[in-house]
Amino acid sequence: MADAQTAISQLNEAFGNAIVGVSDLHGTPVLRLGVKDLPVVAHYIHTHPGLRGALSLLWAVDHRPREARYELCYLFTLSECRDWLLLCTDLQGDDRLFHSITPHIHAAKWYEREIRDMFGLIPQGHPDLRRLVRHEHWPKGTHPLKKDFRWDTVLEQAQGEYAFRRIEGEGVFEVPVGPIHAGIIESGHFRFSVAGEPIMQLEVHHFWKHRGVEKLFEQLRLTDAVPLAERVSGDTTIGHSLAYCQAVETLLGIHVPPRAHYLRSLFLELERLHNHLGDVGAICNDTAYVLAHAHCGRMKERILQLNDQLAGSRFLRGVICVGGVSLNLTDHQVAQVTAELNAIETDFSELERILFANASLTDRLETTGVLNERAAWDHAAIGVVGRASGMDRDIRRDRPFAAYEELQPKIALYRYGDVRARMRVRMDEIHESARLIRDIRARMPQGPALAEPSGAPKPGEWALSAVEGWRGEILYMVMAGEQGQIHRCKVRDPSFVNWPAIQWAVLGNIIPDFPLINKSFNLSYAGNDL
Amino acid sequence: MSQAVLLVVAQTMVLLALSPFIVGLIRKVKARLQCRRGASVFQPYADLAKLFKKQPVVSTTTSWIFTATPYILFASTLAAGLLVPVFVSQTPLNFAGNIIALVYLLALGTFFLMLAGLDAGSAFGGMGSSREAIVASLTEPAAILSIFAIALTTGSTNLSTIVHKTALLQGIDTAPSPHLMALAALFIVTIAETGRVPVDNPATHLELTMIHEAMILEYSGRYLALVEWASGIRLLVFLTLIVNVFAPWGIATTLTPVAFGVGLGVYILKVAGMAVLIGVIESMFAKLRLFRVTDLLGVAFILALLGVLFFYILRG
Repeated sequence: MADAQTAISQLNEAFGNAIVGVSDLHGTPVLRLGVKDLPVVAHYIHTHPGLRGALSLLWAVDHRPREARYELCYLFTLSECRDWLLLCTDLQGDDRLFHSITPHIHAAKWYEREIRDMFGLIPQGHPDLRRLVRHEHWPKGTHPLKKDFRWDTVLEQAQGEYAFRRIEGEGVFEVPVGPIHAGIIESGHFRFSVAGEPIMQLEVHHFWKHRGVEKLFEQLRLTDAVPLAERVSGDTTIGHSLAYCQAVETLLGIHVPPRAHYLRSLFLELERLHNHLGDVGAICNDTAYVLAHAHCGRMKERILQLNDQLAGSRFLRGVICVGGVSLNLTDHQVAQVTAELNAIETDFSELERILFANASLTDRLETTGVLNERAAWDHAAIGVVGRASGMDRDIRRDRPFAAYEELQPKIALYRYGDVRARMRVRMDEIHESARLIRDIRARMPQGPALAEPSGAPKPGEWALSAVEGWRGEILYMVMAGEQGQIHRCKVRDPSFVNWPAIQWAVLGNIIPDFPLINKSFNLSYAGNDL
Repeated sequence: MSQAVLLVVAQTMVLLALSPFIVGLIRKVKARLQCRRGASVFQPYADLAKLFKKQPVVSTTTSWIFTATPYILFASTLAAGLLVPVFVSQTPLNFAGNIIALVYLLALGTFFLMLAGLDAGSAFGGMGSSREAIVASLTEPAAILSIFAIALTTGSTNLSTIVHKTALLQGIDTAPSPHLMALAALFIVTIAETGRVPVDNPATHLELTMIHEAMILEYSGRYLALVEWASGIRLLVFLTLIVNVFAPWGIATTLTPVAFGVGLGVYILKVAGMAVLIGVIESMFAKLRLFRVTDLLGVAFILALLGVLFFYILRG
């Protein structure tokens, strides 16, 4: 067991000369390194048996106009102690090159391509420098997160074509799917290379729904951006707004009242419940077992109506706010919630028995779309997907927020990594969420649910925040600018991490099973594309 | 002669009029089993009427095959329907063909549909066609063999004769085992040929999983109406085949108005019963993996083969 402090001393011993400085950010150790030394240290953290750091987030900040430098930050989660460790490096002046860590740490692949697109910083040695976010119709040299790019710039149309990875040979075909789909699916493009039905390769080409969310954040004040955070991914209203609010509260030094902590947990679990119920049904629906879909849809609807009754919004918009929650539920309302959930849980248990007894369903779910433990680790897979592949990570336990320190949630963990495991994780979490909400009712203290915003952060101060949403860990990095403005807000929905993993999970499966595998991941397009 | 013409007209009308109802009934049963209210059983009629009014959109990359296929499909399916005794044990086209003609008339429609799926050059159409080719090539021997098992017991490949003899229990001198084997085989064939769960899912929107629906993705307007109607008739033909070959009792064996009325009433009840059964099965099972479908069809073939063998074994 090595906690972050012993890790620091270990790194000091190994790379004493390279480390420029060690500081502390709200309890997370920050190591400042030279640009050249960073990949070596990152590699060491990632592979050293005592550390085994998984890359959790990688982001860049343009510090202009205050300072003429770009900053790159690498957030690692150490596997043993689950502590965070942050590596930072600067690009001074006109320097646009940094050293890629992707050759050693696969999980950095999309992050570095994203930084290249959004900031124009070039990761040297990156194996794949095709555009990721910037589709080919964006003119050359467009890097929206640079401070000299105005948010309302109207871009000209450029020409170009994305070069997909190609497999050629006799009997190998390419199947393009999307970005326009049948049914109510968001826009995303999938390019399959198939030999008959088995999939030899899948390339996910996303970012059709890029709305410039991070740039929009920079136009807002710290206290005004909650509605935007709620809309990053429509089905994760509470997850995103809570993660954003926590970061802002750290910056403003607000102490959230205890009752608000409990209410936040309650709303987060309600969100988890309705999404997981919908997913279990949708997975069954994709095997044409419509019966389960209909019943899950019914149960999900009951929760949505409950949400509507409580908050006037089926997706709980406007509930979380900086300083607490805007909706202080009465004890009577909480009792109503638990009563409703008890009824739904009984209902769901019965459905569960039917599902487990159905051999034809089990046959479809088992061994389909396996993401093995090694691939999950390499992609740093998180959330439901990670926990179905043996990645024992859950922010609610590892870095307790809201009321989870007292609630102590049990973590559902499976190792097979197939569709069934992902469904089982969701089923277990449905029961656990219902239990947590009952527990919340029993423990919730009385008192106010909202603290007044106070204090003002210094420009350049920043905070990190993590929330275990229903898909997985949602990370926010918020940096304050002049006069309460947001200087930079890095949003990371778990979908961004898990999308590349799906490319591995489908290999060797047949094409007709892809929708089922995709549904078992159920990743957000909007949250990924930002 | 006039009687024969009348019979053709009557049977055509029954097939045309009843097939959307059967489709609607299956959907209704499924909806009720899911605790949904579901659309009216007459919804498919409204769908067809609407589609016929709409202008079809045809891709510029298609050839004549694409526009001709709906008509070929519709005509061949309906002609196949006229080879099967529906509510009278005599078939209108008695002289024109037997069970083999029936199977290949249906195969003709499938063949053109597969070509049409390839014709537009979309990725999904091609996938649908290749999958349909697998399914069709495996159902065909099972279908023929199961009918042969019955043909052996009655001594004729003519469906009219088979049904007539079975209805009057003439010349049935063996135990019912060949019949039961053939029935099971033909039921599996029906599920596969008409694209129902667990072989195909007619209700899905997921292009990558489709078989039948993938081939007709490019169709719209009146072409789509014809294709949909033809697949409704196809379903009805298979259900008719099952109920009349294996349980023809009640069918009109004489050409009197009373026998006609009774025959028609009993027939509608029987196929409606089959539709309910299919609806229940669709609600109970998940769809098979694509490559497991071949196993299921293998089972159908073996069952049919056993039916034929049993006939010889039991006869001594």
